[in-house]
Amino acid sequence: MTGPSGVGIGWRPEIAGFVAGLPGLRFVEVVAEAVAPARPLPDGLTELRGRGVDVVPHGVRLSLGGAEPVDPARVAHLAGVAAALDAPLVSEHIAFVRAGGLEAGHLLPLPRSREAVAAVVANVRRTQAELPVPLALEPIAALFDWPDDELDEADFLTEILDATGALLLLDVANVHANARNRGGDPAALLDRLPLERVAYVHVAGGAEHGGFYHDTHTDPVPAAVLDLVRELCAGRRPPALLLERDGHYPPAAELRGELDALAAASGHPVVT
Amino acid sequence: MTPSDTWGIPGPVFLRWYLLLAVVVVVGAIVHRRRMLEGTPVAVHGGLGPQQVAFLNGGDQLAVWAALGGLRHAGVVGVRPDRRLTTGGPLPAGATPVDQAVHHAASRGLHTRELAADEWVRRAVDELRDDLVRRGLALDQERRRTLRRGALLVGFLLAIGIVRTVTGLFNDRPTGWLLLSLFPLGLAFVLLNRVPWRTRAATAALNDMRRRHAWLRPDAGPAYATYGPTEVALGVALFGTATLWTMDPGFAEQAEIQRQALGHTGGASTGTSCGGGPTAGGASSCGGSSCGGGGGCGGGCGG
Repeated sequence: MTGPSGVGIGWRPEIAGFVAGLPGLRFVEVVAEAVAPARPLPDGLTELRGRGVDVVPHGVRLSLGGAEPVDPARVAHLAGVAAALDAPLVSEHIAFVRAGGLEAGHLLPLPRSREAVAAVVANVRRTQAELPVPLALEPIAALFDWPDDELDEADFLTEILDATGALLLLDVANVHANARNRGGDPAALLDRLPLERVAYVHVAGGAEHGGFYHDTHTDPVPAAVLDLVRELCAGRRPPALLLERDGHYPPAAELRGELDALAAASGHPVVT
Repeated sequence: MTPSDTWGIPGPVFLRWYLLLAVVVVVGAIVHRRRMLEGTPVAVHGGLGPQQVAFLNGGDQLAVWAALGGLRHAGVVGVRPDRRLTTGGPLPAGATPVDQAVHHAASRGLHTRELAADEWVRRAVDELRDDLVRRGLALDQERRRTLRRGALLVGFLLAIGIVRTVTGLFNDRPTGWLLLSLFPLGLAFVLLNRVPWRTRAATAALNDMRRRHAWLRPDAGPAYATYGPTEVALGVALFGTATLWTMDPGFAEQAEIQRQALGHTGGASTGTSCGGGPTAGGASSCGGSSCGGGGGCGGGCGG
């Protein structure tokens, strides 16, 4: 399998023109739920595929962490999007977005228990059985710990990945947020993660509010997150890093600057 | 009194010659029209600036709106409480003659509706059109007149036919076939009278640009802050002033900019694609799939 490589950016319709103008770009990520496999792809994505740019569908609604089995229709949709985009892999979150028929509208963290591991593993296996490509799992940040956590973050993740053979989508901004908000050394957490399984890395901006770091995706990437990227890449460099920006889009020069900073910190080629 | 042949020509003889002539004239006019409208294909993409694209898509007025959109995005044009334009800074580098003229008009406090008729703007847009005519993309008055001459010839034939039919009807002569032949001729007259202001090469270039710049559609919610004045001007040029209303509704309303959404069906063929009044549409910045993306991503942040 050849997964995504280099520095990429989250493809959003709002900045499609900007993304199309990046000469060195080799991969983007698209929110899977925003693509309808039965309908023609958005023009921007078709053009990128024509240029040989990898497009990775990123699911946000599968609810792999739900106690109930994943919705087969949602899995089929994800598989359909992967096929339509000829994607090298797809990614989803280790989280739940609905329970007992109620939609949270958000990605909610799981209690880190053996029971939760078993539920996630079962759902990941159900999903993998239908997907034409490998699946990468992204742990989400949490502002709090569940009271009955049996495992720590790294063990929880490693158990799920070991049991399913899934790849890891590591969110560096989340690692920073967790360390910043709950105390702890982000580098130490990184060391304990199965970094050899990283398919690609998410990097996003955030801001401090009320003593907490918020992973907003609408602010610039802070220096501390870039430092963490540098540290991560100095050890075992992930094959690909993706800048996530989901709103409050800055002028093109600023966005290019963020991509350049990411390339510099990771040692990957400049894409702008 | 025995009814005699109208104008001394028997009906079948007249009809034969009339139809033959009609076919020759109409086919001739169509062939001539096709050749005149072919134009010169745009070789290099990006060879057309936003205001040129705007002119080809919607004539003088849209070229002016495109310039205004670019200047507004660059922050050098504003609107006063009395709805007159004003300037907020010097012209950026690379300003076109139309930019300069619109900026100058803004500095004199014109209303947006007066822009297209302003002498300076007029002159700049004329220059723009002349260049497009030279490049085989737009038609000048002379060519458009020549094209109308073909329609005039058809109209002349039509008039003869009508007079003969009416005369025949009054004289109680059979006129059914002649009457029937007037309908297609009338249709040809109407269609040939519609003379576009751009060539087919220009239409092809516009369609291509509309497809390649679909991300500038107002209903895709483009992040105008990320894009530059040139792209905003191109958005106005391809998709109408709905771009201005989406980008800066406060300015668009205060400056009384006519709202118009273009390019929804993939290309206005001929004639008046511009000035269609309040077409609405494109007001909501978040359309279908982009909403799903935004909402979904928001959920990705827990930290």
